[in-house]
Amino acid sequence: MREAILQTGGHPRPASEWHLRAPYDWRAALAVLLIATALFWSGQRMEVGKMLNLTGEAVAAGVGLKDESQVGKGLGRMIGALFPFVIEDRRELARITDLDRDALPMFTRIEATEVTTYHLNADTLQVEQQVEVKEYLVHPFGYLTKVLSKMVETFEIAIWATIISVLLSIPLAFFGARNYTPNRFAYSASRGVVSFLRSMPELIIAMFLVLGFGFGAIAGYLALGLHGAGFLGKFYAEDIEAADRKPQEALTALGAGKLRVLRAAVLPQVAPSYVAYTLYILDRNVRMAAVIGLVGAGGIGQELKGRYDTFEYGHVGTILLVIFLTVFVLDQVSARVRARLIG
Amino acid sequence: MAAAAILQAALGTGREGQPHLSFRDLRKVYADGVAALDGVSAHVARGEFCVVLGPSGSGKSTLLRVVNGLTDLTSGQMMLGDTALSPKSLRGIRRRVAMVHQQFNLVERASVAANVLAGAVAEVAGWRAMLGWYPPELRTRVCEVVARVGLDEIHLPRRAAALSGGQQQRVGIARALLVRPEVILADEPVASLDPAISREVLGLLREAAREQGATVLCSLHQTDLAREFADRIIGMRKGRVVFDGKPALFDDRAEAELYEGLAVPSPETKEKAYA
Ligand SMILES: Nc1ncnc2c1ncn2[C@@H]1O[C@H](COP(=O)(O)OP(=O)(O)OP(=O)(O)O)[C@@H](O)[C@H]1O
Ligand SMILES: [Mg+2]
Repeated sequence: MREAILQTGGHPRPASEWHLRAPYDWRAALAVLLIATALFWSGQRMEVGKMLNLTGEAVAAGVGLKDESQVGKGLGRMIGALFPFVIEDRRELARITDLDRDALPMFTRIEATEVTTYHLNADTLQVEQQVEVKEYLVHPFGYLTKVLSKMVETFEIAIWATIISVLLSIPLAFFGARNYTPNRFAYSASRGVVSFLRSMPELIIAMFLVLGFGFGAIAGYLALGLHGAGFLGKFYAEDIEAADRKPQEALTALGAGKLRVLRAAVLPQVAPSYVAYTLYILDRNVRMAAVIGLVGAGGIGQELKGRYDTFEYGHVGTILLVIFLTVFVLDQVSARVRARLIG
Repeated sequence: MAAAAILQAALGTGREGQPHLSFRDLRKVYADGVAALDGVSAHVARGEFCVVLGPSGSGKSTLLRVVNGLTDLTSGQMMLGDTALSPKSLRGIRRRVAMVHQQFNLVERASVAANVLAGAVAEVAGWRAMLGWYPPELRTRVCEVVARVGLDEIHLPRRAAALSGGQQQRVGIARALLVRPEVILADEPVASLDPAISREVLGLLREAAREQGATVLCSLHQTDLAREFADRIIGMRKGRVVFDGKPALFDDRAEAELYEGLAVPSPETKEKAYA
């Protein structure tokens, strides 16, 4: 096009000779073909066919079209075991040393259960039946209370992790934004750190940190905070780069330095999306705090793993329900905060 | 320093007639070889309302942006009072010079008040700028300038994006007036406004500048507005000054020369004119 204009001495060609390219051409078709081939190849490695078969069977069995399915049976047994949710706390009285029967702790009661045991009498070679009465101290919401308090701890881990992420990503974003970084070296270093933090799975970071800081919350929120900084640092920086340049130029023209321009011309533009990212990280930290507990980094995950390992699936069910409710409530709250900011 | 400059500007210094802005043989060649300024020399007196005219691409924006260093010179010298523009004096000069932009350049999400306050972002203490906690005198001053540009109290908390173009440019002018600059640069400040509003906004800019004793360098495309408002007209063509004088001298012939390029004076005759 350019050459054409130059050749005709600045006189553009008549419109009848113009050419407006079609939105798709053979290149687009080739790209689709390549992607389809790649997906087919990968689909075989990932056993997508088997996944669809088994899922199909399970669905068919579920709606009564088929007798039974392998997946359905396995999952069904597991899910069935989660019910009923356990909310009470039950402890054998014999194991509690200093209990005053006349002054039980609040809300608790004592329950007696008859336990029948069978054993072989070595003398008579007869199987004998023995009835034993075991007493339990029962707190009707004891376990629920414990899970809730663990959830509060988990939420605290998530909050501190988020605070750490935000504090770390502010400088990372400044140095990692092309238009504010003082030099190329700082830019590359910052982007490198951000990619590194994001690429390290928090579970692995948590495992390392548990070695250093011991079991508990510290390893948990540090791991989540570092990983989250890898996410926020990237997104904060990209928003700074994409912010409208015109007001920035206006303040530069008044003699304001980089930091002041950032504060007065960029921050008001990016604030709503920053809040959205940060709330997303908080939400993610709540969910991930439950997972990293698995490696002993505190919170509800530690409890979850303990119960799972001892096959107490009713307890597991309660924990999962509480996590779900927390995430749901948090989602509602953050939706409201966002709506207010954007409106 | 700023206070002294403001005082000087307000009271006059007894140096009227001395150039406030002076351009000596300014040359700007962009990376692609375009000479946007090709030997511009001119002087603007203190308190003058100087309009720069010229066809598109003649270098008006470039000339204005040279004054506050948004565009750096290839060669030549720009002086503001006794200070020559250099990398060292850049910050200081920028704080004495305000700019009104064609696209308004407001933070659209922020309130009118916040946009006007941002005009002082380079003046207040660092911690105040960072917290966005400006001193009470400045907030009073914001109300003053917002009223001066013809806006109302109800506009203060409104988002800039929710104003009309004319109102947004008033905010832009209020921001420029806030810290009582010595020089106001206005690059086609009314290009996106209708004729009636354009006249109002330009009148406002001229009166407000006059009250504060500020020198104005304003580029325009409307020759009728230039004749009406200018104390002085500089006509540019292809990076050169081809007209420089009182609006009364800017007749139809001068206008045709400027826009259609009839009888462009050669660089030599121009040099003689300034010798
Ligand atoms: N950043 C840049 N890089 C390269 N060339 C530029 C740049 N800015 C301006 N120019 C060129 O410099 C010349 C003068 O441009 P300038 O914007 O100063 O003109 P103008 O008189 O303000 O025009 P208009 O009335 O259209 O705003 C033009 O040829 C333009 O293409
Ligand atoms: Mg221009």
